[in-house]
Amino acid sequence: MRRGPRRAFPALSLALSLLLTALSGCSAAPAQTATIFAMDTVMELTAYGERRCVDEAVSAVYEAEDRFSVTDPDSDVARLNASGGGAVSGDTQALLERALELCALTDGALDITVYPLVRAWGFTTGQYRVPGGGELAGLLEKTGYDRVRLEDGTVSLPEGSLLDLGAVAKGWTADCIAGIWREAGVKSGLINLGGNVMTVGAKPDGSDWTVGIRDPFSQELMGAVRVRDAAVVTSGGYQRYFEEDGVRYCHIIDPKTGRPADSGLASVTVTGAEGVLCDGLSTAVYVLGLEGAKALWRENGGFELVLVTEERKVYITEGLEGVFTPEGSYQSTEIKVIRRG
Amino acid sequence: MAKTRTWVILIVVILLLSGAASVFLYAPRSPAGGVARIYVDGELVRSVDLSALSGEERFTVETEGGVNVILAEAGRIRVESADCPDQVCVRRGWLSSSPAPIVCLPHRLVIRLDGGGAAVDTEVG
Amino acid sequence: MELRRLTKDGVLTAVALAIFTVELQLPELAPVPGVKPGLANIVTLVTAFTLGPWDALAVLIARIVLGGLIAGNPAAILYSLCGGLAAYLVTVLMRRLVTEKQIWVASVFAAIGHNAGQIAAALAVTGTPSLLYYLPVLAVSGVITGAFTGFAGQFAVRRLGKALRK
Repeated sequence: MRRGPRRAFPALSLALSLLLTALSGCSAAPAQTATIFAMDTVMELTAYGERRCVDEAVSAVYEAEDRFSVTDPDSDVARLNASGGGAVSGDTQALLERALELCALTDGALDITVYPLVRAWGFTTGQYRVPGGGELAGLLEKTGYDRVRLEDGTVSLPEGSLLDLGAVAKGWTADCIAGIWREAGVKSGLINLGGNVMTVGAKPDGSDWTVGIRDPFSQELMGAVRVRDAAVVTSGGYQRYFEEDGVRYCHIIDPKTGRPADSGLASVTVTGAEGVLCDGLSTAVYVLGLEGAKALWRENGGFELVLVTEERKVYITEGLEGVFTPEGSYQSTEIKVIRRG
Repeated sequence: MAKTRTWVILIVVILLLSGAASVFLYAPRSPAGGVARIYVDGELVRSVDLSALSGEERFTVETEGGVNVILAEAGRIRVESADCPDQVCVRRGWLSSSPAPIVCLPHRLVIRLDGGGAAVDTEVG
Repeated sequence: MELRRLTKDGVLTAVALAIFTVELQLPELAPVPGVKPGLANIVTLVTAFTLGPWDALAVLIARIVLGGLIAGNPAAILYSLCGGLAAYLVTVLMRRLVTEKQIWVASVFAAIGHNAGQIAAALAVTGTPSLLYYLPVLAVSGVITGAFTGFAGQFAVRRLGKALRK
């Protein structure tokens, strides 16, 4: 039996209409990108969708900077620091609440009140110096996230305490942008806020995003993780440090000692769905060290870790098996897997 | 209709040719390509086709913040010297296949490599 | 007769979707995107060789669009369509050149066409010429997976051909 084109008309019209439906979606949306300088770093935004999605994201970054900058005297954070507290609202209140939760979760390894110590070491200005023991002891008296009160939208800081949301602000901002994009129907987007990565959906071709992790000992990559709808954040002492008398002092301050963290870890990468969690925990885990990291990961969910020790050993948590691949010289390194049991 | 043997021979030839091409293409590439684009404050100020370079190309980029001296070679590019305070851009070294740009924050200068065959979409750390 | 035809196309689409869904669960074979067995192509092949090109086109497009929705990844529909239509065109062309015992040959060329179509789509969307580097690898994988699905399709045509053509 011959089946000519005439008979096939219903089938063909169905096929064509389905084709048009598929093409009219934003599957073939072009990449919209923006590069902006904010929060003391360079940020890159890529969304496969409408232009306004990127424009709104850029506004969100500047808005976050206006609220959370510790150096801009008009920011919410600077205002609280200047007057020892006050009313907060909206994003500032929400981020403060989340940050204090993370401080408690990490038992103070993350502490949003270490700013006076960071300043004493010169990391805020670049005028690096090694403070004396007495000076550090005095400053440690003034730090402690547990002495920050946040009730009914009102913050009160103890005398001499200063807030700094720098360890969580970028992760929070990445969450905000991801939220804006998802609401706008963006199926594919990449946010890199100066090494603080957030992926929205999968790549336009439907595959996972590949996020490379810098080797703390060289300019090469040590590995990569394949993710979708997830944040990837790395903290490491190699990112910013100064040397004096042959000793290296890194920019991540251990809130317990007031001195640069020296936990045996060279870099910590945290990945998970929530940017602010990954951002805050990357700092905290760097301070905690390998054993502290294992304990924190076993007691909590929502994130996975890639740890590189000063001896160039690599540890990953079991959720990253098959997700993390080593690169370069690390391909011959044994990757140890941290398990729940 | 062609004999099955004819089809098999044709398919084997295709298999051999594309197999050889795959091995060739995936072998370590020596002069990596890519176009380096140099941005100041988000504006494209210069692009250099690294795959077309045979020798060295040295040039300076002046920004409001100061001057960066940039050195480009076949397949790679770096900031050779700069009068910025932190020297992060100089210490970054060569950029040859990474999607992570060289950044000089004080001068708001970014050097990015496009089409360099990077294995990852972005970088952290 | 239209009803009979609609039913056959519907059943074939359902089979294709089932195969497609199962294939989604399989782990990736290689780190190169696009290297996968393409088992659902068996149905396109069988349809083209038993019911003819128009039915094959309808089944193919219905499978791709519904499959994209099932996979929760409508963005991938475009790629599947470009690949699927390229494979389809090759199949229809080859149908005139091969015997019933050489269906697998048609499948090999269709699989190569499928991969070329996907690369063309990726080229158009991303504007990244370096994607062409993938072409030889995908040709190799096309030959292997195409032969496999082709023999499966040939077997199905031999066993089911009579029933389907009724």
